[in-house]
Amino acid sequence: MNAKERMDAAINLKPVDKVPNGPFTEAPVCQYFGSNFRDSLLEGPEMLAAHMKSLEEFKFDWVMLGMGYIGGIIPEALDCQVSFPEDVFPIIKKTSIFSMADVERIARKDVFTKRMDSFLEGIRLLKKELKDEVPIACEYISPFTIATRLRGTNEIMMDMYENPELVHALQEAIVPLDIAMGKALIDAGVEYIFYGADMECPILLSPKHYKEFVHEPTSKVCNELSRLGSKVLPHMCGDIVKTGIVDMLLEMDIHGIMPGNLTQEKVLDIRELKEKVQDRICIFDNINPNGPLLIGKPEAVAQETLEHLNRAKGMTGYIFSTSGTSSPFTPKENYLAMDREVTNFDWNS
Amino acid sequence: MAIPDIVNSVVAMDRISVVEHIKAAMENGIPIDDILNKGLIQAMDVVGEKFSNGEVFVPEMLMAAKAMQTGLEILKPHLTGDALMEKGTVIIGTVKGDLHDIGKNLVSMMVEGAGFNVIDLGVDVDIDKFLSEAQTNDADVVCLSALLTTTMPTMAKAVEAFKEAGLKAKIIIGGAPVTDAYAKQINADGFSDNAPGAVELIRKLMAA
Repeated sequence: MNAKERMDAAINLKPVDKVPNGPFTEAPVCQYFGSNFRDSLLEGPEMLAAHMKSLEEFKFDWVMLGMGYIGGIIPEALDCQVSFPEDVFPIIKKTSIFSMADVERIARKDVFTKRMDSFLEGIRLLKKELKDEVPIACEYISPFTIATRLRGTNEIMMDMYENPELVHALQEAIVPLDIAMGKALIDAGVEYIFYGADMECPILLSPKHYKEFVHEPTSKVCNELSRLGSKVLPHMCGDIVKTGIVDMLLEMDIHGIMPGNLTQEKVLDIRELKEKVQDRICIFDNINPNGPLLIGKPEAVAQETLEHLNRAKGMTGYIFSTSGTSSPFTPKENYLAMDREVTNFDWNS
Repeated sequence: MAIPDIVNSVVAMDRISVVEHIKAAMENGIPIDDILNKGLIQAMDVVGEKFSNGEVFVPEMLMAAKAMQTGLEILKPHLTGDALMEKGTVIIGTVKGDLHDIGKNLVSMMVEGAGFNVIDLGVDVDIDKFLSEAQTNDADVVCLSALLTTTMPTMAKAVEAFKEAGLKAKIIIGGAPVTDAYAKQINADGFSDNAPGAVELIRKLMAA
């Protein structure tokens, strides 16, 4: 099996020849192999160069992109003031939504900016180079999470009580823009949409508010992206099983779930999640990117990786991953240790 | 019933009711520092506990804090003596390169709600600013927040700068990617993964 066949098999809950290896690689890859961090996140030819070098050294089963896109390109396209430092993720300096009039304004925006074109060009270049052997995944962002970027997190959270119409209207305005951006990603060559639901996770928002404010726009976007041919893979931190969020996600046309950290120290039990989703969708494992991987030694990383793999052995629809974005400062020898354990693991005996 | 009513009103995020019950308590001669400590501050402790237990979430925390602050505005002109004395000065900010503020704001509100003098430096704060503000305000605790994994190394540099400067302020860290192990690795004085925990940590550090 090549990487694409392996990932597709796992997503479709079919047998695999070995563990599919799909960690959140983008930030470390850009740091290890990019000319500079910013350009490797955002600029077409730089993206291509960094990820191709990475595939020579690591045995990942996908190329993961998107932090520059969700962190800077979208908010900038929707009138936020964004800075793009060379060594960190893009930073929103000023939000853009202060009233309903602003909502109406952004609804008419053309999101395909010059920066967006350059990012899409990077995907096209990668697709051409990778052919159909290694799939491309892209981090994506939900209407609610975009809304927090445009309006401010505290403001949106309090709007839920004080100005709920604005929360609904803002997401309603974002949904078609979000779908248009998703379609552009898919057309450029993205096969897996990693649907980041960061700000509506059950660490921050109650299931009641999720249902009232988030469920409908999320369903619209996920269902449409799925209809357009991508595999939609929601990523959410917190206890999505006990809070019942996973049940709401399962009502949508999604293909997998990638849980994030339950807390900084703890991650969701993969077996508990599997019991819940059964063979309906695939599961991305969730090794903590801020644990030994970031601050430990390679031996500790190897041990943690092996524990995860042993716990999952025999599971259908399993893909090894990290529970969220890895730090660009993750030591390369730790990433190599993780990669080695996954590559060499005897999954089928 | 006035004090429990104040607590319940804050927990219920009901600003109008908070005002009514505080006014009633004052008319009934309940000492101002009791209204503050056993009413408003206690209420935020209850809210913090509910947040830790997963009974309330960020919107509810923010609304309760707003109700608490509404009550505090009524009390402020009347605060004298012990009630006026704050429990210490806490400086807080999100480190340079990072614009995320939700965690920082929650901690800021909870710590202020617990009776500390909070100086919130905002987001994208460089190390020199943390140092100069800590010196100028004779800070007891400095809280560094980061959401991005890219900005975590700034925390290490800040802790080192504070230790080198020999300031008395304790340095604590928090934020989604931060762990207790990381706090230990960079020699921070403490770590919390949530706002109520940060209040408890600050209380402990101040008592030590």
